[in-house]
Amino acid sequence: MSLAIEAIDVRKRYTGKDGDVEAVRGVSLAVPPGQVFGFLGPNGAGKSTTVRMLTTLMTLTSGTARVAGIDVTVDPHGARRKIGVALQEAGLDPRQTGRELLVLQARLFGLSRAAAAARAAELIELVELTDAADRRIKGYSGGMKRRLDLASALVNQPEVLFLDEPTTGLDPASRLTVWDEVRRINEQGTTVFLTTQYLEEADQLCDRMAIIDGGVIVRDGSPAELKAELQARTGSASEPTLDDVFMDATGRNRDRVAGDVQEV
Amino acid sequence: MKQSLILGGRAIREALRTPDSLVPTIFIPLFFLVVNVGQTARIFPTANTEFLAGQNYAAFQLPSSLLLSASFGSAALYLVEEIEGGYFDKLRATPISRMAIIGGRLYAEMIKTIVITAVMVLIALPFGIRIESGILGFLVLLVLVALWAVVFSGFMQLIALKTRSAAATQGASMVFFPLLFLTPNFVPRSLLTRPMEIAATFNPVTYIMEAARSLILDGFDWSVLGTGFLVVAIAGAVMLALSVRMINHYD
Repeated sequence: MSLAIEAIDVRKRYTGKDGDVEAVRGVSLAVPPGQVFGFLGPNGAGKSTTVRMLTTLMTLTSGTARVAGIDVTVDPHGARRKIGVALQEAGLDPRQTGRELLVLQARLFGLSRAAAAARAAELIELVELTDAADRRIKGYSGGMKRRLDLASALVNQPEVLFLDEPTTGLDPASRLTVWDEVRRINEQGTTVFLTTQYLEEADQLCDRMAIIDGGVIVRDGSPAELKAELQARTGSASEPTLDDVFMDATGRNRDRVAGDVQEV
Repeated sequence: MKQSLILGGRAIREALRTPDSLVPTIFIPLFFLVVNVGQTARIFPTANTEFLAGQNYAAFQLPSSLLLSASFGSAALYLVEEIEGGYFDKLRATPISRMAIIGGRLYAEMIKTIVITAVMVLIALPFGIRIESGILGFLVLLVLVALWAVVFSGFMQLIALKTRSAAATQGASMVFFPLLFLTPNFVPRSLLTRPMEIAATFNPVTYIMEAARSLILDGFDWSVLGTGFLVVAIAGAVMLALSVRMINHYD
């Protein structure tokens, strides 16, 4: 059985204002179909860059990446047909209505006018935006925008869904709604690749996860495995939390984070 | 092509929903037309100004206003807004030709310019301006001005893609000042001072302006018209080649 996502020694280097930067330094991933895979890391660790490469939005400097069995460098169009993408900023056109946006998205995936309208109606119901569907997006709340963004990532019934920090900035109720959607989508067989900064979110949703720091993967396993590994290594009496795993993996602690903030 | 039309339809809908953004596109060029003609018309009376070909000075000035209206490059500002807001990436993640994203906006710009140019000419007609080349010439005029709008917007979109900044794109759009004013916009090229004549000769907009003017004042002057369309075609080809390169290497 082929993997839903496979990355082999993926690297991204670019030239910034301060010279050459290697944002991703040899990431390898193997995500089987049907999983919710969490991708965690501190700010600037390389999460979004990795997602952008896997979703064909950014070229790979070196390495190989396959999504739904398709090499994203060799056949990016083919890969785009198989994936859904909801990026960190809910990328929506505020001048359209929710329904218009979904119809347009469906038509860009090759659906006829009638099929696109039917798919949009189905998705509007799925993300519970029926009452707001014909209102312009600029009037939507943050939670509604996220749900619409999620719906727009599903128009092509993707095999792999990429969600880049889907709950950042949402209130607790909206966050729980998005979690429910992610579970429901996954139950229908879609592999979900989820980046998040919220460890509780990863614990709740993910079958497996990887932690990236400084452009390299520093931990990889199920949440239970990662906790057990830390407990065994440190000999702690109580079971560690994912926060402990994250802190241990990235070397972050309160002092370091405070220092990071001061640097910014 | 189909994808460009779908995205173009969206851009037209967007323009209709933001009519306030269309107001300056019509109002500012008409303002310049009224002011320029008001200040200089007595210098160029119809009866003894040969280059007016029997019309009033407003007919001579109209092409400048039409080209000014076509040089607002609002498509690029919408594009950069989408780059900053993330919707551009959403479109790039769909299995469409990336050029369709640019093409859709250019298609909408063409339609918008045809409508606005037609409205401006219709407003000008009661003030004694006539299109010497007739209805057919009027249609050719619409096409010429619309093609210029596409070319100018295309170059502005290149700047938007390169800089990904609204401020930089807006700043770069100020290039329309030299492009439109280092031209024979007040008098024919032969009457310009030598430095201005040289500048106008090297300015591609000069040939488009002269072609538009010939349709209004002289009828079908195939040589002038051919030069105008050739210039817009060459500029368009350069713009398209650079756009394909830019959008396909956008990372």
